Formats: sequence, C-alpha cells, structure tokens
Amino acid sequence: MLLLQLLVNGLQLGAIYGLTAVGFALIFGSTKVFHVAHGASFTLAGYLFWWGMTALKWHWLASVALAVVAVVLFGLFMERFIYRPIQRHEGAFFTVFIAAFGMQIVVQNLVGTMFGRGFETVSAELSRSVEIAPNLFVAPIAAVAIAVGLVFYFGLNLFLARTQVGTGLRALSDNPDLVRIFGLEPTRLAQVAFALGSALVVPAAALTAVSQGINPGMGSHIMLISLAATIVGGIGSLKGAAMGGMLLGLAESVAVWKLDPQWSEAVTFVVLFVFIIFRPAGFLGRAQNAK
Amino acid sequence: MGREVKGRRVSESPNILLETRGLAITFGGLKAVDGVSLALREGIITTLVGPNGAGKTTLFNLITGQLEPDAGDVCWLGRSIKGQPHWKIAQAGIGRTFQDLKLFNQMTVLENALTVTERRSWLWQSGGRAAAAERLARAESALEQVGLADHRHTRAIDLAYAERKFLSIARILSAGARLWLLDEPASGLDPRSYERFIKLLRDQVGRGITICIIEHNLDIVKGISDRIAFLDQGRLLAEGDPQSILSDPALASIYFGERA
Amino acid sequence: MWAYLNNLAVLITINAILAVTLNFVLGYAGIFSMAHAAFFGIGAYTAALVAIKLGGGFLLATAAGMSVAGLLSLALALPALRVRGEYFVAASLGLQMLALTLFSEWKAVTGGIGGITNIPPARFPGFEISSPPQYLVLSLVCLALVMWGVSRLVNSSFGRSLKAIRDDETAASAAGKNVAVVKTMAVVVSSALAAVAGSLYAFFLSFINVESFTLDTSVYLMAMVIIGGTATLWGPVVGTVLILLLPAVLSFLPGLPQTEVGSIQQIVYGLAMVLLMIYRPGGLWAAKSKAGA
Repeated sequence: MLLLQLLVNGLQLGAIYGLTAVGFALIFGSTKVFHVAHGASFTLAGYLFWWGMTALKWHWLASVALAVVAVVLFGLFMERFIYRPIQRHEGAFFTVFIAAFGMQIVVQNLVGTMFGRGFETVSAELSRSVEIAPNLFVAPIAAVAIAVGLVFYFGLNLFLARTQVGTGLRALSDNPDLVRIFGLEPTRLAQVAFALGSALVVPAAALTAVSQGINPGMGSHIMLISLAATIVGGIGSLKGAAMGGMLLGLAESVAVWKLDPQWSEAVTFVVLFVFIIFRPAGFLGRAQNAK
Repeated sequence: MGREVKGRRVSESPNILLETRGLAITFGGLKAVDGVSLALREGIITTLVGPNGAGKTTLFNLITGQLEPDAGDVCWLGRSIKGQPHWKIAQAGIGRTFQDLKLFNQMTVLENALTVTERRSWLWQSGGRAAAAERLARAESALEQVGLADHRHTRAIDLAYAERKFLSIARILSAGARLWLLDEPASGLDPRSYERFIKLLRDQVGRGITICIIEHNLDIVKGISDRIAFLDQGRLLAEGDPQSILSDPALASIYFGERA
Repeated sequence: MWAYLNNLAVLITINAILAVTLNFVLGYAGIFSMAHAAFFGIGAYTAALVAIKLGGGFLLATAAGMSVAGLLSLALALPALRVRGEYFVAASLGLQMLALTLFSEWKAVTGGIGGITNIPPARFPGFEISSPPQYLVLSLVCLALVMWGVSRLVNSSFGRSLKAIRDDETAASAAGKNVAVVKTMAVVVSSALAAVAGSLYAFFLSFINVESFTLDTSVYLMAMVIIGGTATLWGPVVGTVLILLLPAVLSFLPGLPQTEVGSIQQIVYGLAMVLLMIYRPGGLWAAKSKAGA
C-alpha cells in the first residue's frame, strides 16, 4: 500500500508542479522571456495567502484574492519595468536571465526578513488525512489539488482556444510579427501573458501552504522544477509542461519507495538529465537544435 | 564555343556546383518550400526573386543545413549533403550572408575576417606559425578587396551601414567559399557603394566563385543576373535567362501582387 | 587585525579565481553555468581526499581535482550543449543540485554534512605551506597563472571562436565553427580551473563541507562576474573584491540587525544585478565602448 500512498502524494505534488510549470511555459512561450522570477511569484503568492489566513484571519477566498492581486502586479511590474527596458536596449537572453534572477534573490530575502525563515503552514480541515483503505492515508487536499489542477489547466486551454486574446497569445508564441496583422498589440498580449502566467501559481502556492508548508527558499526550488518540467515536457508546449510537472511530482514522491528521502530531490534532476540526453525535445516539444 | 553574356564568356554547360532536388519543408501546415529543384552552375550569378514570404530565405536555410528538409535532397559537388550539420557544410565551401548581417559585433573587423579562417574547434589551430601567418594574410587580403583594410581595428558594431555590409562579404571571402549565398546584400546601399559592390561580385565571379543572390530590387536584378529563378509560395515557378523571365507578364503580375 | 586581513585576502584571491574562470564561459562564450560552485566543491573534495588518503602534495592533489572536475564537466556539457542555451542553464542547475546532494549524503567519500576535517597543509617537494601569509602567496601565484592562462586563450583563435559564438551563434556556425565542441571545451577548461580554487580552499581551511558549495555560492559567483564586468579580464576581480568586502562594510553600518546582514547582502546583490542589467549590462568595469552596452 505504500506505493499507492506515494502515488497519491505524487499526483498531489504533480498537480502543484504542473500548474506552476504551465504558468512559466505560458510566459516563456508567448513572450520568449526567460522569466526565472516566476519562482518569486510563487513565494509571494504562498506567503500572502498564509498571511491573509493566519495574521489577518480572512476567509480563504479573500486570501487567495490578495495573493492573486499581488502576483499579477508583480508579473506586470517585471514585464513593464524590468524586461521591457532591457529588451529595448539589446535584450540578450543573458541580460534578461540575470535581471530575473536578481529579482528572485531580492524577493526571497525580503520575504525571509519580513515573515521569518522557517517553515509555515496553514492548517485546514482539508489537510487532515483520512484512512480510506488499510494503510492508505489520503487527505482531501490531494483530491482538491488534482481537481484544481485539472480545472485550471482545461480552463486555460479553453481561454487560449476560444477568446481573441487567447488566440493572440498563441499567435505571439508562433510568430510575433503576425500578431499585428490581426490588430492585436504584442505589448498588451505580453502583459496578459505575464498576468495570467503569474496568476496560475496562486492555486499551487495556496495548496502548498496548506499541505507541505512554505518557506522563503521554495521559490528557487519551484523555479527549478518548472524549468525541468518545461524541458521534460517540451519547450513550446503547455500540455508538455503540465505533463512534465506531473511526471516530476510522481517521480519525486515514488522515489521514496526505494531511496532515502534526501535523495528524492536528486531524482528530479536525473530525470531532467535523461531527457536532455535522449530526448531534448521533451515529450511534446518541437525539436529545437542548436543551429 | 560559349555564349557571351553581358560581356563575359559563359560556357554552355559549366559544372553544377550545387543542386537541390525536390526540396521541401513544411511549417505548421504551411509548405514553406515545396518541391524546389534548382541547379547552381559554376561561375554564374543566379538571382532568386519572388514576393515576400515566397520561401527564398528558407531555401537558403535548407541548403546550408540550418534546417533539415522534410523531403528532397541537396547535392554539393555531386554528393548529397542533406542532414549534415550546418558548420560542416560551411567548411565544405558554402558561404552565406544574412539579411540581418549577423556580424560578430563586439569583435573588430580584422577579428571577424580572421576567425572564419580558424576552423579547428580545439584550443589551438594546426600548422603552427606559418599557417597562422597564412590565415592572417588571407583575412587581410579579404579586407583589402572589400575596402575595409583601414578599419581593421574598429569594432564591427561601430562601422557605418555600408561598411557593415561589406564586412559580411569579407567574411565569406576570407573563408574561401566557392559558393556564395547572399541574402539581400545590396539593400540600402548608396549608389557609390552599390557600384563598388557589383564590381566586387563580378571580380569574384571572374575568379570562379559562384553566387546566388536573393534580391528584391529589380534594377539590381537586371544589372547582375546571368540567370533568374522565380519563387512563389515555396514553388520554383520559372528559371532561366533574365530576358525571358523579366518579360513574362504572368510572373510580373505575381511579383507585383495583381492576382486575387 | 592582520590575521583577519590576511584571511580575507586569501578568500578574495580564491574567489577571484572562481570569478575569472566563470567569466570565461559566461562573459566570453555566453554560456550560463549555474554549476560553478559544484566544480569548486569537486576540486576541493578531490584534493582533500588525495592529500589525506594518498598523502599527495599540492600539485598532485590539484591535478587530481582538475581531472575529476574536467571529466565531470564533459558529462554535463556534451549532452546539454547540443541544444539551446536554456537547456544548459537547466542542466547546470540540475548538476549543481545533484552535486549538493552527493556532497551531503555520500558519507563514505565526502563525510556527509560533517565534511572532511584535518586536511594536511599543502606540501611541495622540499617545503610545506603552513602559515597564512604563505597561503596568500600561493593563492596569488595561482590567480596570476589562471589569469595568464585565460588571457592567452581569450586572445587566441579559440577565444575568437568563443566570442563569435557569443555574438551570434548562427553566424559562427555559418563560419564553420562546431559550436557544440567549442562550447564544451570552454566548459571543461573553466571547470578544471575552478577546481584549482577548490584545492587551495581545502588546504587553506584544512576543513571543507557542503555549506561552501551550495547554489547560493553559485549565485554569489555570478554576482561577482556580472557586477564586476563580463568579458574583461579584471572585471571579475573587481566584482569579487566588492562583493567580499560588502559584509564587512555592512557590519559597520549602524542600525542594521546582525541577523539580517546575510539577507541584506543578498538583497543588495540582487538589486545590483537588476539595475545593472537595465542600465549597464557590461558591468561596472565594462570595456570602454562608444555604443553604450
């Protein structure tokens, strides 16, 4: 039964990883900006949700709303005041990456200073495990996580397929020049991409706060996972990022079945390496070889 | 034996240097290049014309190995080079310039011309001092021929527009390429630089270089082509001598966009 | 007081070696390695083990460290460099985290979290380096050698290939450069030289553990290179000095809670990186150029 338990944990973790990875993939795919400050969005969302719930004692919806507002503002701020000026100059990959990275460091430390460096959790009914079968403890939070992941994922796909803005985002991803022809502004679309991609971390961060707990360093951890998931799933594919996240979550959990827990994080990177060596295009990505 | 074309002797059947056979590639449902079979013969200037989006640059990318075709073949000196890495094809003697130049901006003019002669990827080049001197001489000679010798220590990014265009030519000249694929090399050049450019091309062809140019400006096309290839929507519609291509009304209407 | 300054100087020198070698791949080749601290660590652990288990002197220990680091970096570079730049970032991050786990958990070899202690002093045929001033001299000699080596490479045909790839990878390829091989060589050279710093570190402190080789360290190293100035020989050294002096400066400022000094340091670096990228991407010691960045 242990394996089954781990699988369930893995699905829960995978849903969280998948959501965050999809957010990153959406931003990177549409704007080609390597937004490594995405992890910082996750940290902000998690901490604001926690603060809203425990310090301000708000209803969870209000806390979530607080997190959403903060994270969207952060994403838009990065786009408007950091990435856009850089891209006006010369916008090399290097420059964008370093700026995002620097921001991630700033946020991580600010959060640590303001809220403390330990692990914090939000206790909720949902995180109490129930023994649903002999030796199988599942907390309702797992089901919630998976459901939330699915809802947001399919919601996003619907948005991208059915709305004008969504179609614009997809076009931006394939060919930025085409977008103007359809009467849409690439800048405006970039803002939507950042807002939407950042907002996607909120459910994931809230779930993490309730289940595993949050700490200031989790931003860089989740950023690594999102990166790995995007590569494993295939750069340029949202479905791939979601699948990649799910796979990594499962791998990390199931690894405990045979390995010591300290090695479970290493498993993520072994998976990443395997993909880079044997299938750099990932599950669903378009093969993008160095030319 | 051999016709006189624009005052130069062009033999009736010179060697085919590069040949594409049924080359095709599709991007997301769109056939960017659709079954193009083209032969580039030695010592001849071919211009590649066609409306925007006709697939001309994509065709270059397929020939140089930057893209791998979905179908068809590319043969260089009689042997297939399909699937070979980009850098290997470049070393085989196919030189290429880009529409956006892609100069090594932070390096000097001389460094730009010199680095193309240094082919080994190891920490040092083979041949010792003598070979190094020979490479330097080749780079300097290339700079002389394009008129950039005085600017050898200027950074590429600090050059004037026309000089930057000439530097991109200096690179393939220095590399000793036999086939030059030039992507809109003369766009935006002032008349004096343009004349210098044409003279340079003619000199090189006189020495046996083969050139294929993508060009939009019809005056330029009329001025230098030995042959013209007309591409539209990925397909090679016509290929032949300038007179017949340029006087074909059907092609003209496609070029100027008069079809529905 | 002198002891403190001496130690600071040695640490600055060791970090300068790391910054100069990171700059070799980052600034000259445009390759993002987040794993530099891992190679630093590999050099340190290998040197320590050679000294303790085999009784090796400084030269043997350093050579061993360089070989191990170089070989491992091949394992990282060969697959990752075949594809786009973003892949290498992710792969190097992955390697850094894997190395971290190995350093912490492989007790038999690395001593686990406790690390390796009682590393003997650096031995040369005939004499031993035992006092801090002697270590300073040794470190400075190594730094000088490393800088000389890097400078020779940068001004050679290999350096031109690297710069060409950095300036425009497609054009470099069109110029006949086997980009993947060139980049791989650059990574191997830089990683092997980072191991030199590792060896110095192990002998100087006579104790090493995983804490010195974390992702945070990789980040500090990046900050040193970027803030000091990429693609220049002295820029990384300037950056190293600035960053290592910062804690000392901060601790003199009134009103700063001691517990927060670490965080504030990092916030300063983070902000510096962001602002520099917007206004002066070449770093503080940027090559004097007409055209801005």
